[in-house]
Amino acid sequence: MIVKSVIDGFKKGLETTWMLAKIIVPVFFVVTFLQYTPILGWVAELFKPVMALFNLPGEAAIILVLGNFLNIYAAIGAIKAVDLSALEITTLSMMLSFSHSQLVETAVAKKLGISGFKVVFIRVSLAVVSGIIIGRMGILL
Amino acid sequence: MMDILKEAALGSFNSVYSIAIIIIPIMIVMQLMKDYQVLDKATGPFSFLSKIFNTSQESVLPFLVGIIFGLSYGAGVIIQSAKEGNLSKRDLFLITVFLITCHAVFEDTLLFVAVGANGWLLLGVRTLAAFLLTYILSKRIKIEDVSKLEAEDGQELCHNHKQIF
Repeated sequence: MIVKSVIDGFKKGLETTWMLAKIIVPVFFVVTFLQYTPILGWVAELFKPVMALFNLPGEAAIILVLGNFLNIYAAIGAIKAVDLSALEITTLSMMLSFSHSQLVETAVAKKLGISGFKVVFIRVSLAVVSGIIIGRMGILL
Repeated sequence: MMDILKEAALGSFNSVYSIAIIIIPIMIVMQLMKDYQVLDKATGPFSFLSKIFNTSQESVLPFLVGIIFGLSYGAGVIIQSAKEGNLSKRDLFLITVFLITCHAVFEDTLLFVAVGANGWLLLGVRTLAAFLLTYILSKRIKIEDVSKLEAEDGQELCHNHKQIF
């Protein structure tokens, strides 16, 4: 019985790893390539003022977009590909843990009878507030 | 060009590897918890959840399942409990608010730890935020029927953001 559970769990772990590898690897390749083109620089420049709120570089916007529209795995692929400090990674992780996979998770929450607007509003607000606090906290440290 | 390819290949392999060594043990532990219905037996010690938010005793299991296994899995349990008539609309609303803020805490937190984030901070802030938000809402929502409340709030929404909930 225990053996069966362990084997089932291991299989699920492998399946999940495979599923996330299919997301992380392409994202990682694309972001790495983008770093050698001017595109990432343009995006970074464009989002610099917004990301400055969270004490993050402009490139971080890409990570937030990937995390919110796709999922945490895609965001993690991008976090690894972009060069970030430990504090920047923590700030991004905090924001993403409140607000990620919006398309899928909002749909699930709607099934439970809460409005989609409220779901997105609560999660994005928490992400923004926690991002500002943790980003600023780093300046103090 | 070859350098970039090599960098991307190595980097993505490392990312997947660092996540695999976290995900696989988590999945094994979660499978054991599911197969042995650990959570069903653990609702007792966690009944403080229903006391804090003044929800029914039956709401404890959906809270636990969602917090540990994630939103989709939690939703399945919530829908099942609701069908059996164990959850009021108020319970349902509060559980959902808590879980959209804080779910799959071990998996999510450790994934971010794998790329270098501070896990204690993530876990602490996320759990605290979910508790505070749900607690505040639980105080505001005294009546059993949330749909009535939603109708009232629909009007307030236009006037004051604080009144949304």
